[in-house]
Amino acid sequence: MAYLDLSLHDIHAALLAKKVIPLALTQEALARAKADKNNAFEFINEKGALEYAASLQEPEKENVFWGIPYLLKDNFSTIGIPTTASSNILNGYVPLFDATVEAKLKNAKAVLIGKTTLDELAMGGTGTTGHLGKTFNPWDPTHERMIGGSSCGSAAAVSSSIVPFALGSDTGDSVRKPASFAGLVGMKPTWGRISRYGLFPFAPSLDHVGFFTRNAEDSALLLNLLSGRDEHDSTSSFKPVERFDSKIGQSIKGMKIAVIKEITDSISNEQLNASFLKSVRALEKEGAKIEYISFGRDLLESIYATYIVISCAEATSNDANLDGIKFGPYYGGSTYQEVMFNARTKGFSELIKRRFVIGSFCLMRENQDVLFLRAQKNRAKIVERTNEILQNHDFIYVPAAPGVAPRFADSSDRLSDEYLIADNHLALGNFAGLPSITMPLAFIDGLPIGVNIMGRAFDETGVYQLAAAFERISGLEGLSVLNKKEGKL
Amino acid sequence: MKQITMEVLHDAASRLLFDMSEEEYRTLYEEFKVLTRQMETIGKIEGLDGLAPMTFPFDCSVDCLREDVAEAPLPRDEALKNAGSVMDNEIKLPKVVG
Repeated sequence: MAYLDLSLHDIHAALLAKKVIPLALTQEALARAKADKNNAFEFINEKGALEYAASLQEPEKENVFWGIPYLLKDNFSTIGIPTTASSNILNGYVPLFDATVEAKLKNAKAVLIGKTTLDELAMGGTGTTGHLGKTFNPWDPTHERMIGGSSCGSAAAVSSSIVPFALGSDTGDSVRKPASFAGLVGMKPTWGRISRYGLFPFAPSLDHVGFFTRNAEDSALLLNLLSGRDEHDSTSSFKPVERFDSKIGQSIKGMKIAVIKEITDSISNEQLNASFLKSVRALEKEGAKIEYISFGRDLLESIYATYIVISCAEATSNDANLDGIKFGPYYGGSTYQEVMFNARTKGFSELIKRRFVIGSFCLMRENQDVLFLRAQKNRAKIVERTNEILQNHDFIYVPAAPGVAPRFADSSDRLSDEYLIADNHLALGNFAGLPSITMPLAFIDGLPIGVNIMGRAFDETGVYQLAAAFERISGLEGLSVLNKKEGKL
Repeated sequence: MKQITMEVLHDAASRLLFDMSEEEYRTLYEEFKVLTRQMETIGKIEGLDGLAPMTFPFDCSVDCLREDVAEAPLPRDEALKNAGSVMDNEIKLPKVVG
């Protein structure tokens, strides 16, 4: 096993003992990145990474990120490095500032290997709509299956063991669903926990910074580094930063966990249901108290429409600044409106245009009350019900997706409960802003499936305590395509 | 709710300052048929009238001002670096007033 396949603590120990140096780690990560066959990258930062890694000489004992290679989704602003959010309207754009998360990683002396691809402007859940084409699931060498999106490149890279961690963004489930399809730990902390300064906005009331790792502890360590109030982001929280890994290893005895019955009932995959049930029994054996509860089927079915209306409406106004004038390709025109019209017509793909039209339709004067405001009120109702459940339970525990990664050619009935509920319930965490983590559960026909744990606002420490206990039960810590495991569930 | 027609979709795209091919408009029109039925799931929920529209997950109001610290502005060359049409240190656009 190579150093890149190890946990952050183990790589750090090797760096401290000078068994490996940052330059060698970086060279290995770059070699793996260049050998990528899954279309994970927008940009490989070869020169910058090698120069920086070579400058790192004396390891820092208390800093587990020193010399560690990592990746950022290409919707984080990075000074001097092209950043397009996988949209042609931003081709050639080179940011003039670093996102706060990138500044924190630089400050910790981690090494940026490159920028990963995504669904265009982070709007999509398939990993197929970016300007570089489809991203493939590394667990399927035939390239028939998607890895999900929008953070497709980051998921593909971490599950290929190119780096120990990569950042993504999550507006509906864009980290946590791909994590399920990739056999990874995918975390979206509480809304406001991590600054979003420098993250290209999609729908700010739902947008979160998230990340992929191969174990729960690495995820907690990353949150330790990235969280905290930032004056550049007025929505970032003033809550003190905790040691989010402080309860990892502690017993989960007495934890009260709710399983939402309508979600498990809507899943038709019997192998998934059997593995999930096995995990419930295993958690009970560890002392957790699990109760199947009803959320309300109608409310769950309305999550998808509520998400589409709110996210498309917010995106429509947020992306009005993409005009081909201040940045992005300039196509000319006889009036300034024509300049913008030409840039936007040529720069956006069909899917993005459709999403913008949906958003614009929901915001039309005649529709605002019945669509946009009603969706916002329904969001309040859904959040009220979620928080009601979390008053009596510490966590909500459910399958993260209705099955393994779909084939590109698969289609689903978009009015079925399996689609409306089981495939889209993770947006609950975005509506309520709650911490939510996906963990690998088991395999079906060699492809990973995952579960999701959601906790109370700002209780990431508790979420990681349960996630780490779950990892011991599943036996899938450190999973990647280079480190395959059978698991215990 | 406004009736969805091809004209309404063309109008929405035009307001958003882009155009699509006729085939793309037809795809969108078909998508709206499913979307409308999905939106009915919100229509079924009772008791929404008494709720305030939720705009953010938590209250995130900030009622203090930052210190007024002078900072170096972005150099002009940097600010113009990403613009595709530049002349005499300014972004050049077609004349607005004849």
